[in-house]
Formats: sequence, structure tokens, C-alpha cells
Amino acid sequence: MRLMPRLGAPVGAALVLAAGWSQAQSAVEFSATEKAAILLHGPWPVAMTPDPSNRVSGQSKAIAFGRALFSSRLLSADRKQSCASCHIANAGFSDGRPRSIGSARVDRNALALYNLRLNRWFGWAGQSDNLWAQSLRPILDTKELRATPQMIARRITGHPDFARRYLGLFGSRPATHPPETVLVNIAKALAAYQETIVSGPTPFDAFRDALARGDSAGIAAYPVPAKRGLKIFIGKGKCSICHFGPNFTNGEFHNIGVKHFVARSRVDKGRYGGIQQLRASRYNLLGPFNDDKTRSTAGFTKRVRLHPRNWGEFRVPSLRNLALTAPYMHDGSMASLSDVVRHYSELNEDRLHQDGERLLRALKLSKTESADLVVFLKTLSERR
Amino acid sequence: MLACSFPALAGDCRTDKLAKAEALSAPPVALVYKIHPGPIRVGAPFAVEVVACIAPDGKAPRRIRVDARMPAHGHGMNYRPSERKIGPGHARYDGFVFHMPGRWALTFDVFTSAGRKRLTVNFDIKR
Repeated sequence: MRLMPRLGAPVGAALVLAAGWSQAQSAVEFSATEKAAILLHGPWPVAMTPDPSNRVSGQSKAIAFGRALFSSRLLSADRKQSCASCHIANAGFSDGRPRSIGSARVDRNALALYNLRLNRWFGWAGQSDNLWAQSLRPILDTKELRATPQMIARRITGHPDFARRYLGLFGSRPATHPPETVLVNIAKALAAYQETIVSGPTPFDAFRDALARGDSAGIAAYPVPAKRGLKIFIGKGKCSICHFGPNFTNGEFHNIGVKHFVARSRVDKGRYGGIQQLRASRYNLLGPFNDDKTRSTAGFTKRVRLHPRNWGEFRVPSLRNLALTAPYMHDGSMASLSDVVRHYSELNEDRLHQDGERLLRALKLSKTESADLVVFLKTLSERR
Repeated sequence: MLACSFPALAGDCRTDKLAKAEALSAPPVALVYKIHPGPIRVGAPFAVEVVACIAPDGKAPRRIRVDARMPAHGHGMNYRPSERKIGPGHARYDGFVFHMPGRWALTFDVFTSAGRKRLTVNFDIKR
């Protein structure tokens, strides 16, 4: 007992020191190179520029008309479905199903519609080079809304409110336009609305902006596991090479070893098929419906290459609002972010093309590393 | 192969036609190139203008082919640049896109009567 007072101070000091040491061990510091890599993922949001291929892009009347059309069942043959049936606002503009169901079950997962205005290509295979072409595709698809241009023109003409809005926006009554023109114009209004679907700021953005301005309180507020996960994301995981920039995507296509058999005897050609469809489409930027007569944004369409390696390649999706848009991958085959991280951790390299990406190797993450990466990925979503 | 500066060659093909250009040399080929607009950014299209001449008499090569690859990743570009001939040995290639950060090798294949000569320059793209 007599020793206690004497020992008390040094023991207490040792405990404090130990606690400090432990905290220092758990603190995550970023090198100058890592900071530079983190800053590349912002600032957010990115400024909007109207789409020159769509003359009503950015117009408030078009946005309002597009919003009304988006949830209108008049666009489906059986009047039972709308765009909003598979792109549900409260479900991250996706539908939560592995593969969506229109008039039949489709081959792919419904992509979330956030930040589409930043895309160069649209759809999992990039079969469209503009948002209005991508918007009319499901209207005509026999497995989705299964409509025809004639059907759409007739229904828009026969709907007093839609016909009035159409006249106000496009300068003529829908009845005076060829059905295909009505369809394209409807798609342009739908595109104008979808351009306004922008994901909000996230905990990662708050951290990234704090890092940019040297705000130590803001930096400290970001959870330690998220910081560790971020280190993996920009470091050993090499995730940021493809999930690049403020929208966490390079906008292109890669084969990451996800199976591309839709059924036992049927393959999803991925980007290979996407380029073939793009080239065959009347609605691409080289076609007659591009409102930009200079074709200023058509260079990618003109120059895109068709490689054998495009088989099995699919879009690198944006990671913004990722937590809201499960399941994952083009076929919705991964139910959770943990499944996605496990896929990269235990990657089956035999599934990758020989002439494909050498970048991908099994990450072999520990349990803690996997959990940290998931925590980080969740901070890319808005707080709701 | 070395990046260096060299005097303009005589004859129709003149490497001094391209102001503020970078130079590459692999005898007998002398080449200058310029990136429009520089610097190269991930995902942003750019053009490469090139003048290549055959030393010592400044003849224009039969053909120049310009392309790019990511050697560490084992793939090239997703886009095929279009060529526009400007003059003897002088051309511009539009539509390059480096779609990922990392090291890219820009290759110039210069076709002479003696065969193909490849000149390469590397770019480390970070942003």
C-alpha cells in the first residue's frame, strides 16, 4: 500500500503513454503522393454543360416534360410499365433486382441513373453514345417497354397535356411529325430530365475537401477504417486506376472476370456487342438525329476500335451512391459490397482474357482490409 | 533511341516546320512531334502532330504510323486516331485518348525504303 502513491504517478503516465501510442498506431497518415491521388476524386459536383446533340438539354420545360414522361406508363405497349418501374428514385434509380424484368426478364442489371450527364458511353456495354439514344432503347426493346414509334406518336398526340408540352418544346404538334421524330424528341426530353439526376455530397467529399484546405478537424472526422480503406483503394488495390476522377469511373470498359454467360448456351458479348450495336444505330451521334450539325462530340463514335478483347468487357460504373444500388455487376450477381470486395480479393485470373488487362490480380486482402475497403466504399454514398 | 534536338534537315521534309516541338532520333530517322493540346489528361482527347525525315538528305518517309500502348497493362487505346497529311513527312493524328492513368508509350512507326523504324516516347499520366 505504501508503494502505491510512489508507483501511482509513473504507472498512470505509462498508461497515458500507452494510450497515446495505441492512438498513433491507429491514426492514418497520407503521403504527398496519396494526398494528390485523393484530391483527384473531387471537387464534387462537377459543373453541368448542356449536351450539344440535344437541343432541349438544360431547358426547364424539357426537364419538367421529361420528368412526367419518365413515370408515364403510356411509353409501354401494355401501359403497365414506365422508366420508373426499373429506375426507382427511392432505390438509387435502380430496382434492387439482379436482372430487371420488363415485359420479360432482361440480361442485365438496371444501372443507376446518377450523374449520367458525365458519361461518354451509356449502358453496361456502351451501346449508345448519347443519353437520348439510350433513353429510347428500352422503349423499343421487346423485353422492356416493347413500344413502337407509331404507338408512341399516337399516344403523345392523344394525350392533351403531353401534346401541349411537346408543341411548346419542339415547335410543332406531334401529329405533324413523323413517328420516329416524335420518339426521338420524347427521348430528348427524357434525357433532359435524367441529366438533372446528380448525386449529392458524401462523407468522402467532406474529407477530401478538408484535406484540400488543410482542415485538421474535418480530416479527423472521417472514420479511421474508411481512411484505411481509402489507402487500399488508391494503393495496393489499384481501384482508382479505373474508378478514376470525381465520378469514380474512367467511363470505359474492362473485363474483371465476371461470368458473361446469360444462359448455358448464350453469351453476353459485353462491349464487343455494344460497339456493334452503336455502329448499327440510326440514333448515334453520326446519325441524322444529332442536333449538333458540327458533330463536335462524335469523335469518340467515329474512332472507337472493335477489339477481340472487348468480349466480356463491361462498363466501369461510377461508385457514387454505390451503397444505394445493390446488387452489383452487369448481371447483378453480387449481392453486397462485401461480395464485390471478395471478388477482387480472390479474383479468378483464369477468367480474364489472355489479351486483356494485366492490371488485375487477386488482391488477397485480410479480413480487416476487406472490411476497411467496404467502409470506405460506403462513404461514397449520400447520407440519407 | 534518344530524345534530342537536331538541326533542321534539308530538302522537302523539314523538321523545323514544327515550332516548340519535342525531338526524337533513331538514325536515319529524325522526328519532331507536338501534342495538341498539352498536357495530356486522362480521358481527354488530344492530337499528335509529327514531322519525320530521313537523314542525311531530308527525304520524307513513305508512311508514318502513330499509336499508343500501356505496356504494363498489355493493352492499347480504345480509339483509332485519324490521320491528316499536312506536307512531306508531316501529318497530324487526331483522337488519341489515354483512358487510364499510368505509363503510356507513344510509338512512331516510320516506314523508309529500308523498312520500319520505331521510335517511342513514354508519358506518365497522373491526372
